[in-house]
Amino acid sequence: MILTDMSWFDSTVHRAMTEAALVGALGGLVGVLVIVRRLPFFTMALTHATFPGVVIATLLGIDLYLGGGLFGLLIVLAIVAFSRARGQDLTAATGIALSGGFALGVVLVSAQDGFSKDLTHYTVGDILAVSTADLTSTLVVAVAVVIVLAALGKELLFSAFDPVGASAAGLPTLVLDFILLAVIEVTVVVTVPALGAILAVALLVGPAATARLLTDRLALLFPISAVIGVGCGLAGVWLSTRWDIAAGASIALFVGFVFGLAFLGSAVRGRLRSPAETTRHPVALEAVNDAGSS
Amino acid sequence: MTEETTTGQVTLEQPGRTAALVLDRACVAYGDVPALEELDGVVHPGEAVALIGPNGAGKSTLIKAILGLVPVVRGRIEVLGTTPARARREVAYVPQADTLDPDFPVSVEQVVMMGRYRKIGWLRRPSAGDRAEVAAALERVGLAGRARDRFGTLSGGQRQRVLLARAIAARPRLLLLDEPFNGVDAVSQHALLEAMAALKEQGTAVVISTHDLAIAHLACEEVCLLNRHQYGFGPTESVLTPERLRAAYGGQALELRGDRVIVTRT
Repeated sequence: MILTDMSWFDSTVHRAMTEAALVGALGGLVGVLVIVRRLPFFTMALTHATFPGVVIATLLGIDLYLGGGLFGLLIVLAIVAFSRARGQDLTAATGIALSGGFALGVVLVSAQDGFSKDLTHYTVGDILAVSTADLTSTLVVAVAVVIVLAALGKELLFSAFDPVGASAAGLPTLVLDFILLAVIEVTVVVTVPALGAILAVALLVGPAATARLLTDRLALLFPISAVIGVGCGLAGVWLSTRWDIAAGASIALFVGFVFGLAFLGSAVRGRLRSPAETTRHPVALEAVNDAGSS
Repeated sequence: MTEETTTGQVTLEQPGRTAALVLDRACVAYGDVPALEELDGVVHPGEAVALIGPNGAGKSTLIKAILGLVPVVRGRIEVLGTTPARARREVAYVPQADTLDPDFPVSVEQVVMMGRYRKIGWLRRPSAGDRAEVAAALERVGLAGRARDRFGTLSGGQRQRVLLARAIAARPRLLLLDEPFNGVDAVSQHALLEAMAALKEQGTAVVISTHDLAIAHLACEEVCLLNRHQYGFGPTESVLTPERLRAAYGGQALELRGDRVIVTRT
């Protein structure tokens, strides 16, 4: 395996490049599900929610991925529970979880005198600090996610497009939803150390949103989105080493730049939706009974 | 309230003539909240029944109960001689097209293929045979030429036809349609009615929830008139009388010239 050949990975930049390509591809693929299920805001809350988990894990000396993952799971459960409150929906609960989780992380970091790592390490990430162990974790997650997407692709598609129809057809939509959230969660957990709690959402939303502007075909969305993710990751690391700027931020900037280009492109080609298209047609008003005549 | 009712015990035992749907003093509830009470009636293979009632009458709830997605708390609902959950394999459900996200990046062909998923099974890909079924189903609803188009680019009526094609591709013995004619143009309405008639001829039983009483007359032999309770179940002409409609619709029914009733949705 490549990862055991340590010579090439002795270079910080090489490790960062590999990590950027891996999280780019992973974020690109999983991002397609995030976009079609309309979960970008939820994903953003999840990335912020792993932050206190990582800080707590550092304090306790346990595995950072485990800490971030467990806390993310806790926040998902909290969001679902909050959203059942009267007069609330998922959006309000997600907003509270997002800010609350992030605030808890900041409080924990600031409360520690002489804490070995500073706040920015968690908020905007440090891709140049990835170890070969980090690379292995990301690779394992990427392979697992690809296997799950390939194996359950058609069922995930059905329950995403028409949840009621899917359960009427006998699909276990609750289990499928849980698998989807788990896939997003593990992707977030391996992306956050590289891009940070604030910037990780860029790779999980941007490439897929860009690909969506370029194609209507689901089969093309995944490869296009993954290629954009890898491209932005590599370009970001390259720019950061060349100009000595923050790597996570330059990756996120590339993501925004590519999305902007695609947006302008579709505006020029007139593929943007007019306001009239977003309103639904009014329901039919009446039904007439012609008893006896038909 | 339930003068027209017939119960299913007689038909259950006859092999080959298993009723598609039996409602036997069925009460349906969401948690503690009762949604439908004391429903009785039988639908045989090849027959169509219209579920008629005002908004909030429980038509969609009844469809979900027939699918086994909402529990029957008293009495029973029997589908194809077994429980709703077990019968699901041979039941197809057609949702209202405008409940689905028109921006979803999925082609017409992919939507219809979803009807084959259960027969294809987990971890497997559609075969040439599945693709042929999809093409045939699209042909049946008159949309053979639109297979490659994105679902959201079709008109409301065409999307409804695609969803019917999805159900046809599943080759069901019982077909459930939730308000299939809402906001549907005349061409699509005609195509939907034709496809449904063909299914009935093959022995598929059909349950349609609708606001459109004219459709009930056109497409269904039987009507189940509902508003939380059952206001009649039986032949269309005998159930859809002005008296019963007034009773079921309450303040929402408006009588015109004695034998015509206009039902307004609020």
